[in-house]
Amino acid sequence: MSTVFVVNQPLQSTALEVRDLVIRYGDIVAVNSVSFVARHGEVTAVLGRNGAGKTSTLEACEGLRRPTSGSLRVLGNDVSNGDTSQRARIGVMLQDGGIAPSARVMSLVRHYCRLYDRGVDPRVLVEQVGLQHRATSTWRRLSGGERQRFSLALALAANPDIAFLDEPTAGVDLDGREMIRDIIAGLTADGCCVVLATHDLDEAERVAQHVVVLHQGKVVLDDSIVNLCTGNRRLEDVVREVTR
Amino acid sequence: MRLIVAQTRMELTTLLRNYEQLLLIMVIPVGILVFFGNVDVLPDSVSLSRLVSSVLTLSIMSTAMVSTGIATGFERSYHVLKRLGATPLGRERLIWAKAASVAMVEAAQILVLLVIASLMGWSPDAVTWWKLLGAILLGTSAFAGIGLTLAGRLRAEANLAAQNGLYLVLLAVGGIIVPIDELPDAMAFVARILPSGALAEAMHTSLGGVTSDVWFSYASGSGVWFDLVGWAVIAPIVAARLFRFDT
Repeated sequence: MSTVFVVNQPLQSTALEVRDLVIRYGDIVAVNSVSFVARHGEVTAVLGRNGAGKTSTLEACEGLRRPTSGSLRVLGNDVSNGDTSQRARIGVMLQDGGIAPSARVMSLVRHYCRLYDRGVDPRVLVEQVGLQHRATSTWRRLSGGERQRFSLALALAANPDIAFLDEPTAGVDLDGREMIRDIIAGLTADGCCVVLATHDLDEAERVAQHVVVLHQGKVVLDDSIVNLCTGNRRLEDVVREVTR
Repeated sequence: MRLIVAQTRMELTTLLRNYEQLLLIMVIPVGILVFFGNVDVLPDSVSLSRLVSSVLTLSIMSTAMVSTGIATGFERSYHVLKRLGATPLGRERLIWAKAASVAMVEAAQILVLLVIASLMGWSPDAVTWWKLLGAILLGTSAFAGIGLTLAGRLRAEANLAAQNGLYLVLLAVGGIIVPIDELPDAMAFVARILPSGALAEAMHTSLGGVTSDVWFSYASGSGVWFDLVGWAVIAPIVAARLFRFDT
């Protein structure tokens, strides 16, 4: 599969630095002093149960949620202080889509390509996510997997240097998962930092090089897949142990 | 500017594909103008000029409040506003794009309505254009503020009901179709406080009509403009304070 991405950063340099991040909703502490880094050319999987703080952490990194305290540096910019000048280089896939039911695939992808203005051809992008036969369909007429790929296409419109993907394979069939896996591999091969929030531990084990596990708002594990999954040890066993 | 232009184009494209919105912003005002201009059911005091000012008020209310409010409410519930907030467009440019699309729709509405009114025998000779423009801007600010306050706080379905309900109430008793001095005292008192009555009256005087006596009761005839300016300032401030971009 051909990709439309270009190399923008040297491999392995830090793309995201989260330091002592705290997010409160009233009396509830959703994210409690979370720290980790994510690097260019790697997939960092942020794992955890429902309510662990994954989405809140990602949304703060995307500049959509102001943290209560802590610092967030995305592509060198301090997002926690409201610096969003790097938005054009950040790809975002929200857990809840963020697409109106009446939005048509090609029309919205073309619009996002215009907004990001990063030289991405919308037709190539729609083809890349396998929706060329659904180009004129509205979101409401797409299957669950097609909706996820539509949402992924909007993230790719940024030709991102860092991509935040929240549950990208939720509700996607096997072929669709393979396609998304290939796209993620293409992104990291081109030097992009991919930060992936997911419940799907098999998927994380297949695509991620680095794992951060959140439990009740705190980081309980931060290591590479190579260190964690030795011998017959599966990521699922490791995560179960630390979130017990 | 490039991003605002791109988003404005998207807003207008979305609007043109939405038949309910087109019905609200174009078919209903044109229908009311043509119907009441040709069928003798309104009080004799309602001249064609008064009807034109009422329909212009209705079209401003339809576009700035109901159409914008309902569309924004659904966009908020589908997290469209949140998603756009993560693009280089950002929230501030998104608001500018929405304002630009409202301005373009209103310009088209007013042009169509004035052309139809001319065909029905209304003459633009007595129009004070700068006053008309002022009334349109103030009315748009007031009604957009009200529409966005509701859209930014209520669930999409509740917002839909509230916007439509308010539209009907203002249409019936807000001094739009039936002038305030033709309403019963209690209703007239309420209508004088509402932005619809003030805008209809400001439109009426802009088109060369004489201000109704009810507005002389405060601020010596300028009351209508004070009322309208008040709504135009306060409603957007309330919207800015209460609006939530995400549910």
